Amino acid sequence: MTGAQSPVLEVRNLTADYNGNRALTIDHLALHEQELLGVVGANGAGKSTLVGAILNWSRGAPRVSGEVILDGEDLSRMDTPSRVKKGLLLIPESQLIFHSMSVAENLAHHASAADAAGRHVYSLDDIYDLFPNLANRRGHLGGQLSGGERQMLGIARALRLAPRVLLLDEPSIGLAPKLVLTVLRTIRQLADNGLTVLLIEQNVKAAVEVVDRMALLERGRVLAEGAAAEMRDDPRIAEAYLGGHAT
Amino acid sequence: MNLAQQIINGIVLGHAFALIAIGWTVLLGVARLVNFGHGQMYMLGAFITWFAMSAWGLPYLVAIPLAMSVGVGVGYLMQRTMLNLTIRQDLVSVMIVTLGFGYVIEGAAALTFGSTGQILDTPLSLMDIYIGDIWFTWQDIAIVVVTILVFIALKYVIENSPVGRRVRMVAEDPKLAQLAGINIKRVYLGVFAFEGATVALAAAMVAPRTPILTSMGFEEVIITFVVVVLGGIGSVTGSYLAGLGLGLFTAFFGAYVSSAYATAAMFVVLIAVLVLRPGGMTQKMGGH
Repeated sequence: MTGAQSPVLEVRNLTADYNGNRALTIDHLALHEQELLGVVGANGAGKSTLVGAILNWSRGAPRVSGEVILDGEDLSRMDTPSRVKKGLLLIPESQLIFHSMSVAENLAHHASAADAAGRHVYSLDDIYDLFPNLANRRGHLGGQLSGGERQMLGIARALRLAPRVLLLDEPSIGLAPKLVLTVLRTIRQLADNGLTVLLIEQNVKAAVEVVDRMALLERGRVLAEGAAAEMRDDPRIAEAYLGGHAT
Repeated sequence: MNLAQQIINGIVLGHAFALIAIGWTVLLGVARLVNFGHGQMYMLGAFITWFAMSAWGLPYLVAIPLAMSVGVGVGYLMQRTMLNLTIRQDLVSVMIVTLGFGYVIEGAAALTFGSTGQILDTPLSLMDIYIGDIWFTWQDIAIVVVTILVFIALKYVIENSPVGRRVRMVAEDPKLAQLAGINIKRVYLGVFAFEGATVALAAAMVAPRTPILTSMGFEEVIITFVVVVLGGIGSVTGSYLAGLGLGLFTAFFGAYVSSAYATAAMFVVLIAVLVLRPGGMTQKMGGH
């Protein structure tokens, strides 16, 4: 993770509009090899819109423009499934698994060797080693899982599709504090194992403990960006998200 | 009235209903769409089979895949035309477009094949079987066998194959399916092509039982609608059972009450089931 390296993922002049109202304006954002970048901000700051725009995906229908470059290749003209095949894997905020399918069926869909050329496809053994709970519940329907297990299954599903960059949209939302830590530590572990990760998170206090770098988003724009330790001391973050003072 | 004969009639009719409806079951289960041109696609399948056999002298077994190929083409073209409406789930526009397609197909068929009724005789429909007082044809046996085989194959593919898994993913959550790298446009096109193929197959199998007219199709849409809703939208097993049940009901109602009111009676059953079990008789494909 050095500044001199070419970024794995880069977005330039990325904008998103809902019915003519601009929700996102990102002049430049880069993600480097094996980096865990946290993007934080208040509700409505444009965090989910950002990861959706990177994938050209949304449950709404924003008008998106700008460049999304993965390993030097411009993906801007590609549709969502093509970007996924290139290795951009998004785990959305809610509805992140197939509820009517079993855990095993959710995990059965994986990247083909041709699509995943040069990337690691996590095997089922890898997945069950990483998430032992899923191994115990492989016959259960997705809809029968707890919130934490669903989050794990959502991540596991993405790993089966050979991510180059994993994008997670608020994985801690709705989880008990203990589970939040478990989920975030798992994400840290994935980054330590070589994955490049963009983590959208509202729980700044928890996120700042695991990310390498952090970007603060406000009204659809990057307001501040830097190493996690620097950002923890940034008064704008400290006041708004860390209880009023720098730690 | 011979009770055994009515049971045979009901079983054959039930399998015919199920076969006519199978394409719609998948269409509704996967794409959450209806196709009001379904009846005219059935009519077209019947006429293609008839024309291939009577005008070109092709064998029945060649005419069937030919009709199915045309069905695939029509289904694909229809979905290609309204793909954006499908993705937006603009159901009102889709209903109007498919209804319009149906009338275009009907007009084109009348122009091509004429408005006179025809008889689609096949080698199997001309071979009678008598067992005591009971009568049926080899065509009837073929309808039952083909329907069972199609349903078994479909159920296997949907539940056990990667293609079936992708279809179920799109059925449950098309947006999430996109994030799994699935091209939902291709799935929707495939589903419509499948509907076209199966309704043409149904026509080639079932139409020999009655005279064929280019104006037919309405009754087939109604039957299909009732079967799909009774079976639970998107449920393969449910559609089979609903078709069979509806066939037996129609045969007995026609024999013991009056065949003139059979369609009205079907709707009474449909209303009763919807009131008592709004989701139909069984679970559906996508789990919505």
